[in-house]
Amino acid sequence: MSTELIRNFSIIAHIDHGKSTLADRIMELTGAVSNREAKAQLLDDMDIERERGITIKASAVTMNYEHGGKTYMLNLIDTPGHVDFHYEVSRALSACEGALLVVDATQGVQAQTVANAYLATSVNAELIGVINKVDLPSAQPDITAEEIEHVLGIRKQDCFHISAKSGLGVHELLDAIVTLLPPPPDNSDKPTAALVFDSECDAYRGVICYVRVFSGELKVKQKIRFMGVGRTHLITELGKFTPKMSPVDRLSSGEVGYVIANVRQLSDVTIGDTITDDANPADKPLPGYVPPMQMVFSDFYPGNNTDYPNLRTAFEKLALNDASFSFIPQNSPALGFGFRCGFLGLLHMEIVQERLERENNIDVVQTAPTVSYEVLTTDGKTTKIDSPADLPDVSAIEELREPFVRLEIITTTDTIGGIMQLAESRRCKLIKTDYLSQNRVMMQYKAPLAEIVYDFYDLLKGISHGYATMDYEFTGFEIGDLVKINILVNKIPVDALSLIVHRSVAENRGRKMLVRLRKAIPRHQFEIPLQVAIGGKIIARESIKPFRKDVTAKLYGGDVTRKMKVLKKQKEGKKRMKNIGAVEIPQDAFMSILDSSD
Amino acid sequence: MNSKKHDFEPAGLYVHIPFCRTKCRYCGFYSEPIKNHAPRRLISAIITELTEKRGQPALSNIEGEPFFKTIYIGGGSPSCLPAKQLFQLIGEITSRCPKPEEFTIEINPGQVNKDTLNQLHTAGVTRISIGAQSFNSEELIFLGRKHSVADIGRAVRSAKEAGFDNIGLDLIFAIPPSTSLPSTTLETGRAGGSTLKSWKHSLRSAIDLGVQHISAYALTYEEQTPLQKAVETGEVTPVNEETDRQMYDMTIDELEKAGFKQYEISNFAKPGFECRHNLNYWANTPYLGIGPAAGSYWQGKRTLNIADIKKYIEAIEQGKNVTAESETPDNIQVACETAVLNLRRRCGIILDEFKKQTGFDAAKLFAEPIGKYKKLGLIRTTGKRLYLTRNALPIADSVLCDFSTT
Repeated sequence: MSTELIRNFSIIAHIDHGKSTLADRIMELTGAVSNREAKAQLLDDMDIERERGITIKASAVTMNYEHGGKTYMLNLIDTPGHVDFHYEVSRALSACEGALLVVDATQGVQAQTVANAYLATSVNAELIGVINKVDLPSAQPDITAEEIEHVLGIRKQDCFHISAKSGLGVHELLDAIVTLLPPPPDNSDKPTAALVFDSECDAYRGVICYVRVFSGELKVKQKIRFMGVGRTHLITELGKFTPKMSPVDRLSSGEVGYVIANVRQLSDVTIGDTITDDANPADKPLPGYVPPMQMVFSDFYPGNNTDYPNLRTAFEKLALNDASFSFIPQNSPALGFGFRCGFLGLLHMEIVQERLERENNIDVVQTAPTVSYEVLTTDGKTTKIDSPADLPDVSAIEELREPFVRLEIITTTDTIGGIMQLAESRRCKLIKTDYLSQNRVMMQYKAPLAEIVYDFYDLLKGISHGYATMDYEFTGFEIGDLVKINILVNKIPVDALSLIVHRSVAENRGRKMLVRLRKAIPRHQFEIPLQVAIGGKIIARESIKPFRKDVTAKLYGGDVTRKMKVLKKQKEGKKRMKNIGAVEIPQDAFMSILDSSD
Repeated sequence: MNSKKHDFEPAGLYVHIPFCRTKCRYCGFYSEPIKNHAPRRLISAIITELTEKRGQPALSNIEGEPFFKTIYIGGGSPSCLPAKQLFQLIGEITSRCPKPEEFTIEINPGQVNKDTLNQLHTAGVTRISIGAQSFNSEELIFLGRKHSVADIGRAVRSAKEAGFDNIGLDLIFAIPPSTSLPSTTLETGRAGGSTLKSWKHSLRSAIDLGVQHISAYALTYEEQTPLQKAVETGEVTPVNEETDRQMYDMTIDELEKAGFKQYEISNFAKPGFECRHNLNYWANTPYLGIGPAAGSYWQGKRTLNIADIKKYIEAIEQGKNVTAESETPDNIQVACETAVLNLRRRCGIILDEFKKQTGFDAAKLFAEPIGKYKKLGLIRTTGKRLYLTRNALPIADSVLCDFSTT
């Protein structure tokens, strides 16, 4: 098949702006699925995705479309909706020549729209502006078109007005995909190079790689090599999603499909890797490959200690289908056995937690998220630190760097003041403000990731009455005035409670921890000092007063059995506690100190 | 019978008289209003129980008599028994257990006159324990006591005149103020409740009466008592912990200043006047309890009798067992119980005796809590003893619980 008749495209949109509905409609109009089948939004194959209105994993569907007497092959490549999956989005977009940029006419351009449009532009994908939900009474297609033109540079008269729900304008849009988006270049005579833009793990067949062939071709029984990880495999099956899995003999230059090649574990495949022919390899891999970067970390502990093995099994299962997620066993004297988990970003973390609870019915306690730091030691080495406990001694640190992001917030003009205040209090530096329309504005900040991972989004939603949207993209590590604060209970530092924070907020954060600790630790036989320290310097203190009276007044003959039971119970209560420097701390109290949910 | 001189250790005998004129609102002991029952039948039943248990071989020494070193008649209010039944009971006991080292009876102020006290002395009772509770009228009202402050003095003086030289008073501190009491019942017009001042007054008054023994108890909110319910409904607010602590500290200071020695968490005596019967409990040596709801530690078993007068009497009359609950602690349990009870004494665990009694080396068996609490200054050890420090006494349960299991 000539590449002239192939169109590879994605749909990018903010959550709930209609991406999945449009995909359904396109599949319906091309005959890929019947109306009835389309009821279930086929591209989203996990409940949770549907419920949250977002797509976790990219998929690809191949459809046929008649136009001008010719049959075109349309490959719709789905993208995750959130920039936490920035890298996956960029890989999916780079498998396409173009993208439909869908904006809800009742909502206007949102932060994610902008972030995704930037991404598409960065991989040279052609953009078609699509204004959705134009049939709703509250639709403001003209204002939306203006916003699109203003922020994204797509001329307003070039935007398509559609209703994905009713199908209005979707045919015209399909025609535009054929006429406006470029076909893939024909590189069939060159050595094989196919981009892995997504992968998933099937219980029976092993890993299924989603690929876009850029040059040469893939054939069944071909010996292929993953250039990034350096492994070779034999292709056992090739195919396309129509949207059901339909095996084919070969995938040619410009085509999109799946590869099954006896790959057992998802971790054996990295998204962005290049597949080439082992005997006749490409000179170099396709550009843009970066190993997934985890920026946000959080500890997960089973709510009930006996759930630890179940939690491990659950994480193993999750990791099978999510190569960006990592977990390392963690044993803290304070908290017991758990896992330190790494995520691409906040939303990714939330999704993992939800899947964990939903699919495994395990109650977990999750600590407040922290970020990765970069440390330049005095011996000139640079290392990444994911846990404050791993931070070398201050004397060995030359520079401590924290991750920064470019943060985009789109909001209404009347909430600018509040948002600016919030941003300033979180060390965010305003880069620019851009009026999208008379009453909507986009603010761009340079922000320390640590300041936005915790409660920033909730506060933003509060200030803007739910209106503001935000998105961020990692820009790099920068040196910061960062300190490690230690929490001392009865003068013993508690590793699990140490934090790396900016010096300006150290005392405040430390004090908050102390207040929580004071409430969570029961009174003891002695006074318990609680302290926050930076190095050897105490910057805040509290204390838990001892209890003054705990004695049975009367104990005579008839009371012994009953009293012994009461004492045993009292002892049992202590047993369930963690002992730190002679202080007995209930484990759930510890959890409540670290729990991010309040 | 075998030829050994004794086939059991010397023990104590406790007789529980579950009658009261009225029930005090704080009291968690089993008792019923005496007017609801015929005391005659109960006393016969108690005597039957004693006779039957006396007949068990293990209860007897070679002479065929039970070997009770101490006798204690408590309640309830033994003093509310009609004189006839009271002296019948005492007569039956002394005929079976002659010449005990100590024979105590509990009395309530206002319930015994001089004659009765004279008779008690003559009948062989050696020690009088008086339920004084407080020398402040408001507090007595709050507690539901029916006697007056003056009754206490009268009872002590009468006992002395009757020849008793071993008299103990029970006192209660940390009594909360009550807003529900009609102010007209109050002499001072304040809503009662112990203050440091009122408690000091009670202590001084007790000392001034020249008694040999004082038990000072912090008010305990026993389950299922009207007082406990009043706390739950918010009608009564317990005295705050700090005041409670200060009162306890003051108790020790005041009584020791007056020549009393603290020998147990709540018990103080002039030298030589410690209550031997109660020491028996804290030594964890055997005792036999008879009467409804009485507890025994006998032949390695801890038992509780039926806590119901009617059912108790019926069981006895039908020749049935009156044990309602029974437990046989294993060796470790015995060691733990012994440790917990011993540690309530100021002298603590006497290591040799503990070893002989339980077979365990206390220092080894409880090495962990001993180490921990020595560091915290709550336990001290000498070569011979292991005991709670003065600082540990007010918070003894938090320490003792670590000795409740190994």
